[in-house]
This record gives sequence, structure tokens and C-alpha cells, in this order.
Amino acid sequence: MEASARLDSLLAEIYVKSQSEICGLSRAQFDSILGEIARKYLAADATQNEICDLYRTLRVEELALARSCAIGNEHAWEVFLTRYREKLYEIAGYITKESSTARELADSIYADLYGTVTRDGQRASKLASYTGRGSLEGWLRTVMAQEHVNRYRRQRRLVSLDEEAEEGAQFATAEPEAAIVADPRVEGAVDEVLAALGAEERFVLASYFLDERTLADIARSLGVHESTISRKLDKLAKSLRKQILASLGRRGMSRRQAQEALEVDVRDLRVNIRSRLAQETGAPAFSKKKAETAGDGS
Amino acid sequence: MTEIPKIVRQRLQTDAKLADHPEPNLLSAFVERSLGQREQFEVLHHLSQCMNCREIVSLSGAQPDVAVAVSLAPARAAWLSWPALRWGAAIACVVVIGAAVTMHQKHESAQHSATQASMSNHAIVDKPMSLQSPNLNSEPVQAAKQRTSRNSSGNRKLADPTPVEMADARTASPFTGVVPGRAKDAVAVPQGGEAEQSTGELATNGPTSDTFFPDDLAAENLAPRWTLSWDGVLQRSLDSGRTWQTIPVASHVIFRALAANGLDIWVGGKAGALFRSSDAGQHWTQVLPIANGQPLVDDIVGVEFSDGLHGKLTSSNRENWITSDAGQTWQKQ
Repeated sequence: MEASARLDSLLAEIYVKSQSEICGLSRAQFDSILGEIARKYLAADATQNEICDLYRTLRVEELALARSCAIGNEHAWEVFLTRYREKLYEIAGYITKESSTARELADSIYADLYGTVTRDGQRASKLASYTGRGSLEGWLRTVMAQEHVNRYRRQRRLVSLDEEAEEGAQFATAEPEAAIVADPRVEGAVDEVLAALGAEERFVLASYFLDERTLADIARSLGVHESTISRKLDKLAKSLRKQILASLGRRGMSRRQAQEALEVDVRDLRVNIRSRLAQETGAPAFSKKKAETAGDGS
Repeated sequence: MTEIPKIVRQRLQTDAKLADHPEPNLLSAFVERSLGQREQFEVLHHLSQCMNCREIVSLSGAQPDVAVAVSLAPARAAWLSWPALRWGAAIACVVVIGAAVTMHQKHESAQHSATQASMSNHAIVDKPMSLQSPNLNSEPVQAAKQRTSRNSSGNRKLADPTPVEMADARTASPFTGVVPGRAKDAVAVPQGGEAEQSTGELATNGPTSDTFFPDDLAAENLAPRWTLSWDGVLQRSLDSGRTWQTIPVASHVIFRALAANGLDIWVGGKAGALFRSSDAGQHWTQVLPIANGQPLVDDIVGVEFSDGLHGKLTSSNRENWITSDAGQTWQKQ
């Protein structure tokens, strides 16, 4: 009973704080939105304390604004555009780094936010999916980044025939077969060591070595200073090497064999003889990109 | 940076069988570190295996670069442009050298008079020097002390605010025609400068604010940003938008548009309400736009000022009100 009363009082407090009334949201509507958010993020048997804790972390003012926009409140829209219209444009510019693409992206996102898609005769706004876990501006940035990445991937799939010809796709050899590794013990040892890494360590490694992100970029994602990332990477790289060597030792390799196995360039191991032969007898137009894909490191 | 063996890179790249990707709410909350410990770990774990989501986080994690935003906006003559800076630096050098030469001449003339005095009276030899030196040096020291005492006093006297400059990206916005709202946010860039001149107390006719600490602006020298809250209140941030302080302008006025141009801040709102501050928000004056004997009574939804004199208001019925004398006279278009 006491917990229930506390939740009730919190809901009343949040309703006032959110300024939902100004946005045209009734207390019942706002409570219903909060209930939906609790069901989304908490287990069905979550305690009232857990629910209160979640509600306290929400950006309720921005949540009320977004949800009012989603149901088509004119005043809320005016406020939203006043606050975020310029930002949408700035974010799009930052993400795409090119003005016409930025405009296109911002227009497209605006259309989604406004809700041009109709479902059962009703306008479905993307803003209805904002839950107030982070700031509305941060959410908009993420939504735009996601849309941009999706568009980029879609565009890559839709390559014209002319481009394909230029790229040499019509003459392409078969996709390269799986990597041929000289000694499966190396793969096993590396997998074992990587599996033992923590999530943050793996994130840092992948971001730096695979995605080729800058130290500053990684540091920003994790909320630490870039010198911390630099030290972490250095330490990780050394420790990985040491652990892999130890693991290879446990798998029966001598120290020297293990070191040699680690020095072998992976690209050298991926040479696909059949592809190479097909290429030599096939078309001359074989793009650099395809050659790399085929794993020809020579 | 220590490299990792290529085989490690290859195995790291191996796609894991991933469950659903985190939704934008969680990714943005992750970037802002507003998730609980468990959720933060879950998202990080996913990111460590999903290149796609890492890319999204990376793109969305950074604040939009003001320079990029401005480059997308129509070009506007910013006084903080490179030529202005170059000339500013040159003028500063001339002033510093001039001051040094003047002080040196004063010092030499003092030495000269001291020498003459010593020649006429050996009893007071060295005395003029010992008296002169503290006098020359004590002035800035005392001024600095006065500054310190002013800044640290509890009177909340206003230091000379850091000038602001607006980063404007409005007219090329794709939504210009959608809703008659206008630019509200203005990024301000600190220009450096002495924060020692007190220019007056906070205006007392408006509502007082407990959170407005102008001394902090001078002390921290952060870039002020201006915005209007969604209920039409003017706000300023001194920490790049993390926290906002209400700036009292006039009670019961809902503002809809603002323009920040150097120290000049203009805010316009309901029923033609237009206020101007020429000292970065410390004092406010109401401006009544009147054209052909008719006052502006519609809501002001856009305010643009390219410099201290030339500006344009956009009213809710799509009229443009132009001034070229800092709001003294207006023309309707």
C-alpha cells in the first residue's frame, strides 16, 4: 500500500514536472504513456520501487512534448520545431558532411516524425517511439544516424548495371572461400582469448582496429579521456599477444612456433587458388575492390 | 600504438549471432550514460560485437560541429572571421607595444629625474628609484586586487559579459515553410577580453532568477548559448547546453524568436513584444516596431540581425519588418 501511494505521488509529481498539461496531455494519457514505458523496459513482475526508479530517470518534459507531437497537438509541434528544427538540420549536416544529402536526410526524418505514413487511417509518428530514456536531441541524433547508415547500405545494394560493369562484377570470380588457416590451433587460441575479453575491452579493440575510429571518438562513446583509451589499447594489445602465445603453448606449440604463427599475415593465408586461376583466364577488368574482397593480398 | 596480430583482427571481425539490435532510445541513453548499470553493460556488450550499431553510436555520439552547421547555412558575415581576427591581432600588438614603450619612457624619465636629484643631493640617492618602482607597479596590482574583490563580493555585480556570436542556420532550413517558428538557439563564442568592468545590476523590473550567475560567465569564460524554452522563456547556458538558466526579460511575455549578435540580444514574441539587450542580457529595453504609424501587433516568429543595426522581424502573418538603425525606425514589407 505504501509503495503504491509512493508511486501515485511520484506520478503526480512527474505529471506537473513534465508540463504535460500545456502540451494537451491529460494525466490519464500521461500515466498510460509511463505505464507503456515501464512494460517495455521492466519485467512483468517488477516491483513498484523499480518502476519508481525508472520513472525518475526519464526526461519527462521532453517525453510529454514528443508524445503530444505524436498525437498531433499543434502547440507542441510549434514548440518542437522551434527547439529542434535547426538542430535536425545541424545534426544531418554533421552526419552526412554534405549539404544536399543533409537536407534530404533531414526532410526524410521530419516526414517520419510528422507521421505521413497512415495506419488504419491514423497518422503514425516516429515520435511516439521516444521513451525519454535519453534526451530528445540525443534520440533524434541516433534516429538520424540509423537512417543514414540504413540508406548507405541500401544504396550500396542498388548499384546500376553500368557501375557493375565498371566494377567488373559481370566478370567476377566466385566468392572467396572461407579463410584457409595453416594451423587451426591458432584460430582456436585467438578465439579463446577474445572470448575471455570484457565487453568494454572488445568494444575498444573493435572500434580502433576494425572500425578505425579515432581515440577521441572511442573516448567520447565511453565517456573517458582519450589518453585512457590509448593506455587501454596498448595494454590490451600486449596482453592479447601474451595470452595467445600462452594458449598456443598449451596447445602443444613451442614458443618459437607460436610466435611465427602469429606473425603470419592473415591475407597470405586467404589466397584462393581457384579464384586466382579464374581471374587469370577471365576478364581483365577486375577492380581493386573486388581483388581485395577475393583476398588476394599479392 | 602497439599493433595486434592480423589473425586477431580477423577473428575479432567474425560476426557473432546477434539478438535484436538496441533501439535508438537505448543507444542514445547509452551515449548520454543515463542507463542503469545492467542496461549500460548489455548495450556495451552488443556494441562490442555489432559494427552496425557501433557506427550509429559513433555518428550520434558527438555534438554537431558548429562549423559544419554554419557551412550548411547561408553564408553570413561573421565578425569573428579570419581577416577580422588578423586585424584584431595586429591592433592588439600595436597597443601592447605602444603601452610598453610609454611605460618604458616614463620609467626612463623617472630614472633621469632621479639621477638629476642624486647629482644635486647625495643624501637622497636611490630614494626616488625605490619610491618610483612601487608606484609604477602597484597600479596594476591594486587594480587586480580591486577586480578580485569585486568578483568575489557577494553583491552579484555584473562583470562585463563575454561577447557572443550567433551560429545561425535558419533560412536554408527545409522546414521554413512548415510552421512559422523561427530560430531560437544561438551558440555564443567567447571572444576573450577583460571581465573587470562592472556595468550595472540586474534589471529589477523583471522576475528575479536564483540560477543566473553572471559572475560565473566571467570566471569560467565559457561560450554562452541562448535558447527559448518551449514555454517561451529566454534561457542561457554557460556549459555548452548541459544546464540552462532563465534570464529575466519581462514578465508575462511569451517569446518565440531570438537573435544573438555579439553583445546584442533580441527577443520577440507574442503580440509584437520585442526586447533588446545590448549588454548580453543584463539590461533589457522594450522596442516598439512602428511602421507608417501602425504598431506591430502580430506575434513575432522570427528575428534576424546581421549586425547591430540591420535586422528583420517576421510576424505570424508573414510580414517582414525591416530596420537599419537598430530598431529606431521600421519598414514593413
